[in-house]
Amino acid sequence: MNSAQLEIQLIASLVAVACAIPGTFLVLRKMAMISDAISHSILPGIVVGFFITQDLNSPLLIVLAALTGVITVVLVEYIQKTGLVKEDTAIGLVFPVLFSIGVLMIAKRANDIHLDIDAVLVGELALAPFDRLIISGVDVGPKSLWIIGSILIITIILLIAFFKELKLSTFDKGLAASLGFSPVIIHYGLMTVSSVTTVGAFDAVGAILVVALMIAPSATAYLLTTDLKKMLLLSIIFGVFSAISGYWFAHWLDASIAGSITTMLGFLFLMVYLFAPSKGVIAVLYREKQQRTEVSLLTFLLHLKNHDEVQERHVNHLNEHINWQKVRSKTVLDLALKNNMIIIDNHIVSLTSKGDEFTTQAIDYIITNEDAQIEDMKDDFFLFRG
Amino acid sequence: MKKIIFLVLIIVSFSCKNETPTNGKLNIVTTTTMITDLVKNIGGDYVNVQGLMGSGVDPHLFKASEGDVTKLVNANVIFYNGLHLEGKLVEVFEKMGTATKTPIALGETLDKNTLIGSDYFASNYDPHVWFDINYFKQFSKKVAEVLSEKDPTNAEAYSKNLAAYLEKLTALENNVVGIVNELPRDQRILVTAHDAFNYFGKAYDFEVVGLQGLSTATEAGVQDVQKLSAFIIEKQIKAIFVESSVPKRTIEALQAAVKSKGHEVTIGGTLYSDALGNAGTVEGTYIGMFEYNVNTIVNALK
Repeated sequence: MNSAQLEIQLIASLVAVACAIPGTFLVLRKMAMISDAISHSILPGIVVGFFITQDLNSPLLIVLAALTGVITVVLVEYIQKTGLVKEDTAIGLVFPVLFSIGVLMIAKRANDIHLDIDAVLVGELALAPFDRLIISGVDVGPKSLWIIGSILIITIILLIAFFKELKLSTFDKGLAASLGFSPVIIHYGLMTVSSVTTVGAFDAVGAILVVALMIAPSATAYLLTTDLKKMLLLSIIFGVFSAISGYWFAHWLDASIAGSITTMLGFLFLMVYLFAPSKGVIAVLYREKQQRTEVSLLTFLLHLKNHDEVQERHVNHLNEHINWQKVRSKTVLDLALKNNMIIIDNHIVSLTSKGDEFTTQAIDYIITNEDAQIEDMKDDFFLFRG
Repeated sequence: MKKIIFLVLIIVSFSCKNETPTNGKLNIVTTTTMITDLVKNIGGDYVNVQGLMGSGVDPHLFKASEGDVTKLVNANVIFYNGLHLEGKLVEVFEKMGTATKTPIALGETLDKNTLIGSDYFASNYDPHVWFDINYFKQFSKKVAEVLSEKDPTNAEAYSKNLAAYLEKLTALENNVVGIVNELPRDQRILVTAHDAFNYFGKAYDFEVVGLQGLSTATEAGVQDVQKLSAFIIEKQIKAIFVESSVPKRTIEALQAAVKSKGHEVTIGGTLYSDALGNAGTVEGTYIGMFEYNVNTIVNALK
């Protein structure tokens, strides 16, 4: 591994961390698409900067881009505050307008020069190590490493200083306001940090990767935990893991690094989406199946309780009477036996005292409409789940 | 948490391997296929030439891959067009110069006063300079000069290759003039998707009209299409042209606009503008590409 490759991974990891922190709050506030919006709405800032400096490489272009990003956020917030449209609609209203203004300015004033977002802002992670920062003749490392590093440090300081306020205004705006700090100021602060991070990271790694790194790790973490601190930590881990594994994926394919990292992010989300212990698709399917069996079990026990006559309680008659398929009745019968709720004597099924008690309590809860209590009761009675 | 960090460390350490193909030769990295072809002609077997862009790539929208990083790290000399042709890459190359790595913007070595400027901004020039064979000859001389300076032991071979290549370019020029002269002056109007052929027009007396403007990212406006279709009808132009690195549909829209006014214009063929044809074919070399373009243009307009 040469130093350029190491530096690329370092930059990608720092960008991942810098994006994961505001990204977590954006995902929780349902404003994830703001980073995508900023990626387009900065065009007029770049064009105006070019008109002023007539130089595509001027840092003023990036400063104005970040400023346009903040303007985007302010406009979105303003429209949203009217309460007439939802968050995502407000975002969708603002950024196409700003982007179009930029397109019109180019068409009118600068149609014959190469000017677009790509020419100024969309950095290439692969090229980042070659743009060095030289201070009085000494090479101190890639420029984007320093830019992203500074943004990251500021973000972390702000996160630690305002963690309580951020947390409260994210989850309970009313309480935050009544405790004396304005959720609006916190909101603007967060959005400004997101805007600066987005523009700074664009310059280093390119647009799609920034949007992906802001949203995917946080969305993945949200499937695993609802604790804010854990979610932040998991987002950072997922982001950094994707950055580094994505880099080596690109190395193996000799493909675009940003593309490979984004693919890793998508893959990671898919894995967690399928296999997460409580919210994952497979866990949910399994739980639904368990629920169905247990409801059947309860129906079966109620049937036993209501019928003393022998022919109603014969094993072979169960299929006909409760209209179950053979397989299912066997599953339910086995489950009831394992939990010591029934005994089978000469093909006749009877409730045990435990089964009787369980059924009585369950009926009580159903009559009083406290179905949720049945779940707690299951924990008390069941040795084995369905 | 610890497990994950451990896993990351394992991935990183397993993937460490060094790859530096040097075998004592100069490592040259080039950008566009035109420049790659040129450096291969001058350097011959004495240098390792690695081109970043393939055929059909729009240099302005080029995206680097992971392998390009290593190519650039190991490069001794980087030859590129400059004049903002390669977008952000130009900016990166400009800052890349070190003791062991020399970036050379071939376009910047030309006399700026002879270049076609932008109407609005004096500091920007039309970068498609390779369509003037004289500029390409200057490129060749510069490449030979740089190679000889970096690798004096093979200087003689480089100057021999240069002489041979210049001769071929002169032959190409005579050939092109011959073909173009088959076309009367008032029929020399070239309509293409974006303004890549201004230098070609200047050299061979063509009026060049581009639909899209210089940047390949901006789309043609409705007015542009209407104005241009009126122009085509007025001048009775027989054919318009598609470019290999620009999507066809804008030119097809133009053709449809002309048709809707009751006139006929054919699509004269695909011209190579920002990149050569596939490696190994005739159009995969600068000379082959130039002859192909001229033949296509002249045959369609005749």
